[in-house]
Amino acid sequence: MNGPADTAPRKRILVLDDEPIVCKRLKPAFQKAGYEVEAFTDSVQAMARVEQEHFDAVITDLKMEGVDGMHFLTRVKEVSPDTAVVVITGFATLETAKESFRKGAFDFVAKPFKLSDILDTVRRVLGGESRG
Amino acid sequence: MSLLAGLKDALAFWRPRKPPVPFAVQFKRFQIILERNNRILELMADMGDKLGGEYVFDRQYILTACERLADLVFKLISDLSVLTQRKNVELFLAFERIQHQIQEELAGRHSFPNLSLTLPLEELNRDLSEEAGNKLANLGDIKNVLGLAVPDGFVITTKAFFDFLEHNRLPGLVEEGLDRWDGKDEKALEELSRDIRRRILQGEVPRPVLAQITAKLEALGTRHDLRQALFAVRSSAWGEDTEFSFAGQYESVLGVPARRIAEAYKQVLASAYSPEAWRYRLHRGYLENEMAMAVGCQILVDAETSGGLYTYVPLSLEREAVVINAAWGLGAPVVDGTAETDTYVLERATPHAVRSLDTARKETMLVAAPGGGTMLAPVEEGRRNLPCLSPERMERLTQAAMAIERYYKRPQDVEWSFDRRGDLYLLQARPLNIRPSEPDFCPLPGEAMREAEVVFSGRGTVAQQGVAVGRVHIVREDDDLSDFPYGAILVTRYTSPRFSRVMRKAQGILTDVGSVTGHMATLAREYRVPTVVNTGVATTALREGEEITLDATQNTVFRGAIRELCRFELSEAEVFEESGEYRLLRRLLKRIAPLNLVDPHSENFKPSACRTFHDITRWIHERSVEALIGLSESHWRGIQATPRRLVTDIPLGLTVIDAEGGLSAGEGVREVRAEEVSSVPLAALLAGVGDSGMWGTDPVSVDLGSFMSSVTRTFTAASAEPRTMGRNLAVVSREYMNLHLRLGYHFTIVDAYISNRINDNYIYFRFLGGVTDFIRRSRRARCIAEILERQDFRVDVHGDLVVARIKKLSLRRMRQKMLVLGGLISYTRQLDVRLSSDEDIALHAEEFLQRIAPLLEV
Repeated sequence: MNGPADTAPRKRILVLDDEPIVCKRLKPAFQKAGYEVEAFTDSVQAMARVEQEHFDAVITDLKMEGVDGMHFLTRVKEVSPDTAVVVITGFATLETAKESFRKGAFDFVAKPFKLSDILDTVRRVLGGESRG
Repeated sequence: MSLLAGLKDALAFWRPRKPPVPFAVQFKRFQIILERNNRILELMADMGDKLGGEYVFDRQYILTACERLADLVFKLISDLSVLTQRKNVELFLAFERIQHQIQEELAGRHSFPNLSLTLPLEELNRDLSEEAGNKLANLGDIKNVLGLAVPDGFVITTKAFFDFLEHNRLPGLVEEGLDRWDGKDEKALEELSRDIRRRILQGEVPRPVLAQITAKLEALGTRHDLRQALFAVRSSAWGEDTEFSFAGQYESVLGVPARRIAEAYKQVLASAYSPEAWRYRLHRGYLENEMAMAVGCQILVDAETSGGLYTYVPLSLEREAVVINAAWGLGAPVVDGTAETDTYVLERATPHAVRSLDTARKETMLVAAPGGGTMLAPVEEGRRNLPCLSPERMERLTQAAMAIERYYKRPQDVEWSFDRRGDLYLLQARPLNIRPSEPDFCPLPGEAMREAEVVFSGRGTVAQQGVAVGRVHIVREDDDLSDFPYGAILVTRYTSPRFSRVMRKAQGILTDVGSVTGHMATLAREYRVPTVVNTGVATTALREGEEITLDATQNTVFRGAIRELCRFELSEAEVFEESGEYRLLRRLLKRIAPLNLVDPHSENFKPSACRTFHDITRWIHERSVEALIGLSESHWRGIQATPRRLVTDIPLGLTVIDAEGGLSAGEGVREVRAEEVSSVPLAALLAGVGDSGMWGTDPVSVDLGSFMSSVTRTFTAASAEPRTMGRNLAVVSREYMNLHLRLGYHFTIVDAYISNRINDNYIYFRFLGGVTDFIRRSRRARCIAEILERQDFRVDVHGDLVVARIKKLSLRRMRQKMLVLGGLISYTRQLDVRLSSDEDIALHAEEFLQRIAPLLEV
């Protein structure tokens, strides 16, 4: 895990899942790995943050109470095309996976997933290390 | 079974009430049962895995898994009904019962409302925090899981609290009072508080509660002299000692004689309505119906020294430490800060070296007053300036406190006493919340992790998440565990439940081989020891004594100590094990996974005794294997598949019925050769019988005594199974074998399933019978048992009956076990004749193991 020198700022990640447990577990896991993390259970607040600030990666659930994750994904890509989006969902079907990719998702992870798997996915998209 | 009964059974079968179902159909049904049985076990294991912490899951997962599981179990019962042609009403009722409990849990209602008014400490654990309050539930874990001493006693439950309020008509008064209160007028709140407390103190403890207190005191009276003993009567409210400490809000009454417990009880209850406690709750948004007060009644420790301990003082990383405050006598003045105390600072890292000692002059101490209550007494002149803990006691205390910290994954604030005999008692433990305020002061572990050398990562499976820093201690198979070093990380080749012995000492566990569904993984979760199994490399990649950091959450092992990781874990916003989803899944699994039906010979091995889905599954498995054996034994004539004679050099006299893919011989051929056996278990067994070279054609000299015995036995027990006389039978498929083998007078059953799916694999072996006298037969049984135990089987011996089981090993290792059984069948053919003394048992076991060894190396 010998990484590059610590010069660049920390990479930023936003997590959106209406299940608080997912946020509570992902946030410290990514912090531990050296990322800056903001986690939201409310999509309106999350969207507002995405419009304010640049995030290197967004991790979002697809099926949430009252919100369509697919819509959120589309909006993120409109506002910030270079933000990598990882979709996590408990209702993984081939159709939803295809649609996510069409809408610009970088990867699609079915719940439940291992912490190490989601960390690897994000490392892959952000170029291996949490600092660029 | 008597000859007559056997004949009756055989005849009963031919009573043609219904046309018999073709055997192939029945066997197919049996395989479906096995298949479903395995899917259930896998799903249960999968749910259990989620408790390990490696996975992120949400409520939806829990709902879906429960639904799938119920569906599978229901279908399994239906399968059995088809196989045995019975309705299985009892099983369906058991299913409904369990399913109802699960639904109640999912709906947020505890399906097991514990209606006890009191509970003994030995029954308490975290799952009873609703009944016992958090403080006593924590003490239950400390005593019952961590094995640390807490003062003997019991808890008067929250149920008793509600009964007390109801009995004294208080809930209405509280409610009306709060309704009237405008939320601001402090005077009015104090007035209300005074009124409620007065009513509690003058109130009557309901008779059933008093009766229960008396009963618990009687039980304690068998262990303590209650005329002498004094009690500590302490609050244990909902929410107390959690993230809101409520520290000092509720009252404890010390030095209470047994006869005055009811009075002290009321005093503690009343303290729930003090203006301070009430305000504390109101400020933190507690609803009035979230107030419930259980009360612990524990024997007051005859304390020589007492005090408090913080496992973590949030100094900078280099300076993080354990701090102990101590004084002579009872601990109350230390905790409320009214006494001069010694302060000791120790290293958090093992072996907890003392960093500084600050000994105060201690003039007075709190002691129990004769006849009840407490009082201040002068400390003898000679002891005033002495430190009140020896280094040995400091270390013992720190080890205990660190065990509590590791379990709760939070720094702890611990209250403790050493009694006059030098025994340590834990009185209370509550989490200390540390929130690093300055990020620079407390660097994130990311940087440190990048610097560190990764020994291995992503190998094996996490059985229990968490972070551990410690020195590697490699344990070989036969190593003694009694000298396992405190705080080490256990590194070993195989998982084994015998490691439960060291789980209270080990910081973490790494194994080369093993599954997360095994017994050891369950124990690791129980003790919350960070554990990764099946890494493949742990014992070779790590050296004895080197310091490592095991991050069992991200499944990585680093060389050296990364203390930032430990600190990060201790300051995480929420401990995974405290999350609602974790607790729900854990409660659900209690209705699903424990196995109560362990002994098929027990009276309780029946459908109505099934308390979990696992029980139902187990019963059905046993019943369906029995049904299949019954079918193949008594029914083989009706079997549609062609029975073939197996032609081998060794005269086994074996008829093989191939249900599916077990033989490669063509249709209609009446004889098969060993090479044509494609059934994995049978092929391996035959290889063991033949290649071991142990069939032994040499005539065995039989002394006259055993010969005579064998003659008489020939006409008694040995002929009790007339139907299978001279006919050996195996029903096989590609992965399965059900073998009934009678050789001489030995009767062997082997039932085995061996495939690439480790979780499905099992071997069941049963051995019975023989010529000669009973003593020699039991010697042989013990010899077989010794051999099989050393080959990792779980073995039961009843007289001359040996039952051995093994399961969940890889295909390769299962085949090795079948080779061993094959060899054993050959070797033991006339073994009893040779075992003329007890010493011969070990000799022959050793000889066998040496002779079989070359076969297993291939």
